[in-house]
Parts: sequence; C-alpha cells; structure tokens
Amino acid sequence: MRITRYFATCLLLVASAARAQQPDTIRSRSKADSIAKAVRDSVELMNALGAAVADTTQRPTVPLRPQGGSTNPRLLPDFSAVGDLVGDLSPKGSTQPDHSRLGVREVELSVQAVVDPYFRGDVFLGISDLEKISIEQAFLTTTSLPNQLELKIGRFLLPFGKQNLTHRHDLHAIEYPYVLQKLLSDDGLKGTGLWGSRVFAPFGFFQEIQLTAIDRISPATDGLTTAEDVNKSLGGLGFSARLRNYVDVSEAANVELSFSAMTGKRDQPLDATYTTLVKGGSNSQFVPRDVNATIARQSTFGVDFTYRWRPLQQGLYESFILQSEVMHQRNERNPALPVAECPFGAGTCGVPAYAGPARDYTGAYVFARYQTGQRRFIGARYDYVQNPETNGRTLNAGSVYLEWFPSEFTKLMAGYEGLKSADATLSNRLLLQAVFSMGPHKPHPF
Amino acid sequence: MIRRIHILLLAAALVYAPRVASAQLRVVTSTTDLYDIAKAVGGNKITATHIGEGYQDPHFIEAKPSFVLQLRSADVWAFVGLDLEIGWMPLLLEGARNTRIRQGGSGYLDVSTVIPVLDRPQGNIDRSMGDVHAGGNPHYWLDPQNGRRIARLFKTKFTQLDPTNSSAYDANARAFEARLNAAEKGWQADLAAIKGKPVVAWHTSWRYFAEYNGMNIVAFMEPKPGVPPSPSHLYGVIQTVKRTGAKAIIMEPFYDRKVADLVSKQTGIKILILPPSVGGIPGAVPDYFSLMRYDMSQLANAVR
Ligand SMILES: [Zn+2]
Repeated sequence: MRITRYFATCLLLVASAARAQQPDTIRSRSKADSIAKAVRDSVELMNALGAAVADTTQRPTVPLRPQGGSTNPRLLPDFSAVGDLVGDLSPKGSTQPDHSRLGVREVELSVQAVVDPYFRGDVFLGISDLEKISIEQAFLTTTSLPNQLELKIGRFLLPFGKQNLTHRHDLHAIEYPYVLQKLLSDDGLKGTGLWGSRVFAPFGFFQEIQLTAIDRISPATDGLTTAEDVNKSLGGLGFSARLRNYVDVSEAANVELSFSAMTGKRDQPLDATYTTLVKGGSNSQFVPRDVNATIARQSTFGVDFTYRWRPLQQGLYESFILQSEVMHQRNERNPALPVAECPFGAGTCGVPAYAGPARDYTGAYVFARYQTGQRRFIGARYDYVQNPETNGRTLNAGSVYLEWFPSEFTKLMAGYEGLKSADATLSNRLLLQAVFSMGPHKPHPF
Repeated sequence: MIRRIHILLLAAALVYAPRVASAQLRVVTSTTDLYDIAKAVGGNKITATHIGEGYQDPHFIEAKPSFVLQLRSADVWAFVGLDLEIGWMPLLLEGARNTRIRQGGSGYLDVSTVIPVLDRPQGNIDRSMGDVHAGGNPHYWLDPQNGRRIARLFKTKFTQLDPTNSSAYDANARAFEARLNAAEKGWQADLAAIKGKPVVAWHTSWRYFAEYNGMNIVAFMEPKPGVPPSPSHLYGVIQTVKRTGAKAIIMEPFYDRKVADLVSKQTGIKILILPPSVGGIPGAVPDYFSLMRYDMSQLANAVR
C-alpha cells in the first residue's frame, strides 16, 4: 500500500501544483476531464450492470427463482489454461534445462467437472518444449463416500510433504525447493494409482490420514533397462502415507505439522551393460536382453511444518508464512543383481557390480513470505540437500523473491539465488517469471 | 432364522438410520449476517456457526482445515452465492466430505436463489471489467427486504428438514419480520435525510444499501470491482467529489483507510467506516437489526 500511497501523493501534489501555476491551461483541464470521465464510466459500468435487473427502483414481491435458469445449462466442464513463462538472466548463461534465456516453461491445460453423482473428474495436461505433452494429473474423486472418506483413482501429485502438492506455477517461489527437486522430482512427484484419505478429530483439532498405493515411486529413468519390470511383483508398487495435523493457534495464526513416508522400488544403474536371459513374449521362452540397471528399494521420510499468520481485519494487506520441510531418503545398498549370460548361451559369465546410490540422502528448506501490500509479497528461502546427482555432496542455496499479483489471474515474480554446489563455487542466478491463468475462478489453495 | 434376520435388519437400520428428528439441526453459514438470521428463525431448535467474521473481507476467506471440521457434520450449509465464496468454498465442501451439504444435497442452500439480483451483467463479460461476478452483485443483505427473503428461505428449509418443529420456525420467522418492520419505522427520519444525497462508496458492496435508502453513489473508490484504487482514478474521484459535493466515503473496516484519507484531505469529505456485516465493528452491531440501524444512522448523520 505504501507505494500506491506514495504515487498517489506525488500525483496529487503534481496535479495541484500544476493547477496552481496554470489554472486554465487546456491540457490540465482536459486531463482532469478525462479522469473525471473515467470515474463516471466506472459508475456507469455499475449502473449498466444493474440495468440487467428490470426496474430496480420498484421493490419486487417475493420471486420464486428471480435468477432464472441454470448458469451452465449444457453441463460444460470447466476449461482453463495456465501459462508459465520464465526468464533466466543469470550472469553466466541460462540455468534452464533447455538453456533458454526467455522461455515458456509450461502450459497447463485443465478440464474439471463433476462426472456423475458419485465422482468428480480432474484432468491436467502439461505441455512443454522438453516434455512435449504429458498427462500431469488425471483422476476421479469420490463425492459420496460416508465417514469422511475420500478416494481418488488415477494420476495425482503424490501427497508427500507440503509443497509437492502445490502446482509449480502456484508456488511462491519460481522453482520447487532443491530437496524436492533432488529427492522427489523437479516438477512435482506424481503417482498413478489409488489415494484414500480420511478426516478425523479425536483430539479436537483437524487431522487427516492420506494413504496411496501407486504403480511406481518414480518414472523410468531415461537410458536404464532392467531385466524385469520394476512393478513386476506387487511388492514393487509404491506406497505412501501422510498424517496431517492442523491447529488454529488464534483467530489469525495457525500451524500445520505433518509427517510423510513412502517406499517402493526403482531402477538403479549397474556399472556396465550386461546381457541376461529374461522371460519374453507369450511362449515363455527365455530371450537375451541388454540390461544396465537393477531394481532397488528406496524409502523416503519427511516432516513438514507451516506457520501462517493473517489478521482477519487487515488480511487484505498483511500476512506471513513460515514453512519448512525435512526429508531423508534411504537407499537399498545391496539389491539383487541380474546374472549375466555369456554370449552364445555358454552359461553364467559373471556378475555385474551395483552402481546405484551407496548411501542415504538428507535435505531441507526453510521458506518465509511476508505480505507488504494488497498484492505484493517478499519471500526468502534457504535450501540444503545432499545431492544424489553428485554422490551426496551438499548443495546450499539462498534465494529472495519479489512477488506481485496485478490481479488474481496474473503473477509476476523476480528471484535471485546464490547457489553453492559440490565444488564450493558460488553461482548466481537471476530469474523472472510471469504466470497467467484463464478460465473460471479457482479456489485459492490453502 | 427369520427372527435372526429381523434382528440384523433392525440393527442395520439403527446404524444407518438418518439422524433422529428430535436432534437440533446443525446449520453452518458463510457469513455472520446469514448466521444471525438463521439463529433468529431457528431459535433453540438449531445450532448455528459461521465461517467468516463480520470484520473480514468475505471475498477472501481462507479455506482453513478447521472449517472442514465445522462442515463435516452440518445439516445445512447456507451461503451468499453469486460467486462471493468462490475463492474458498469449493475446497471446504470437498474437504468436509458431507453429502448433505454438497451441491444437490438437501442441506446445500444457495441463499441468492431467492434474491432479486442487482448488477447482473448482460451480454458478454470478461475480466477486463475487474472481478465481475457473472451472476450479479452478491452483497444483497443490506436491504431489509432481502433480510425478510432470507428469513423466509430459512423457514422453508428448516421446515423441510425438520418438519416436527415447523410451527416454531414459522413463529420465529414471523417474529423476525415483525421486529424488522418495527425497526424500519424507527429509521424513517434517517431514510429521509439520506435520500438523494451524493456519496462515494469503496466497493460495489453498498449498491443494495443504496437501492434501499436512495443515497446516490457518484463514484467508487475502486476503478473496477475488486481492483485497488490507482492514483489517476483517485484524482478523478477527487474531481467528482468537488463537482457533486459528495458528503461521505463509505467503506468497510477491512479496506485501507489511508487511501480514503488522501481524498478526504483534498476535499474535506467525511470518511465513514461502516460495518457491512453483523459483527463488523466488534460490540457495536451484534445482530441484523442493530447492523441496519447503525449503518442507517451513521450515514444519515454524515450526510445531513
Ligand atoms: Zn464484492
């Protein structure tokens, strides 16, 4: 508000000074006229809107349904599109995966509707130059189960930790925290399967348990081939659990402390490519296959904490969020290895060595955001993660953000990040982001 | 054997039977105004709670999980409608997992369905016009005639869900209207003082109030609904105030008063912070009657 006030004061001073000096110049008068006209227009807009209701001065007698019929007589689903544009002005070149300085990071299309008396449907498609088109989410949600139960079927953002459930373009930073990027996924970890949840409050505050069983805990890694499918046995499926605990501290402040865990199997590299005999085709024959990966269990545990403050009466202009997540990932050290076959079927020739992670990884972030005006926020984040891509050497980052919402449908962000990776060199990143969304007004995620 | 089946059926019926009629209806409303009228009509036959507070901007209530707990056992969910609650209600209704209050459920009560709506846009609209609500202006409770409509709607809904107490609901609704009629007589002098007087309003939330009392809104502080005042728009408002001799800027307690102070400093116009809802000024407006009386007398004093 301060900036608006400042500009308004300046403008008023300038305007009154101008009038004092040259009270009758045509320019200042025409400017005043045009502004006064803008005000009249805004009043006229209201009146025009009001004219829709026939004769508002006469007070109607009780109408049964004065609004007439349905607002959506053809039962169309809600369509919307989100554009996520990122500019990378980092001094040593772009740090984006596609090396763009100015890029469209993603366009998200969504179709949402109540499907029938039992289900709601949500489909989100992600389109990007790198991934082309992908099914980000597509799930049914039950709407009529008893006992505060809810079931989702399909692909969804996995309920693990706090920020993973937020779409990347809805974050109050430009990218996910590094601990999510490195231990989960750089654009939100999704799972495909079943999600069951139940709300309960035995201690008087809100609690929710969210359980999932999903096809696998991570998508297949490019370039890795395993002898058997990761999910061949049911034990290879992924499972996750999350317990949410939410407490109102006061009318203005509240706290969420939640715990998450997930486990499943995924592909991990071998030290070389081997040929193994695997059961193939429908006739139960063993066929040779070039294999460079095996299957190992990976389990991740997380704790997340969010403190929010927003005084009800001043809530349009003032708020504060403090958020933190800690994650720990455990990796199986000695998974079963495929037995390599010699060429031309001469029996067993040797055993490949495991080249997957030989250690566990831990990471965390702390994020804070303060509202400085009706539509302006400043944020800062500190990141720490033992990076699996550099064999667990630590990555530290500190970043600050300016966030501005011209309206509820557009967001502009600027971010600076200082990043210290394994070799201890500091690199600077300067990012800009513009997000716009078209379509029906969606609820604001809490 | 048959007897055993009967016992099983009886047990199942007991477990799954709908809530017995003698229990109180559990009513949750989105705003304090609906809450107060629901309480007036329901009396001691219902329990009522509300989500928003009267001193809070009803467009921007947060979907706190604790509200889910209020809603999960509700028999009636009464809301203003016309997209006023669009930013938070869908999350709460999904979170509550309560089929009674979902759209299509017996307790899903869109109060706007009985209101003659103002500012319903005709023809094409888009968001260049600001936060326009496609269904029309949702701030309808500041017209006592709409207060009566809300009371009658509650009477009908409570009677439908709880017919054994229908006579109580009917009597309460009549008593509410009688009190409102009496209160209305009390502010006739204020109405006469207000009629035709030029005022500035912050948001379109005062349109129904103006329709009722005849005040003439010559400018809005917001250039478009929901869009914060810009410097150039404020300059225009100042010109309009000077031209029309507008007497007061009417604004809710949750908007930034300093912006109105700017206009006031330039023109001498009074700033009138009026509660738009029950509880909007703690202690001063505990119910619908006192809210209407307070706003009416404050405004009359300001423009007299
Ligand atoms: Zn409004």
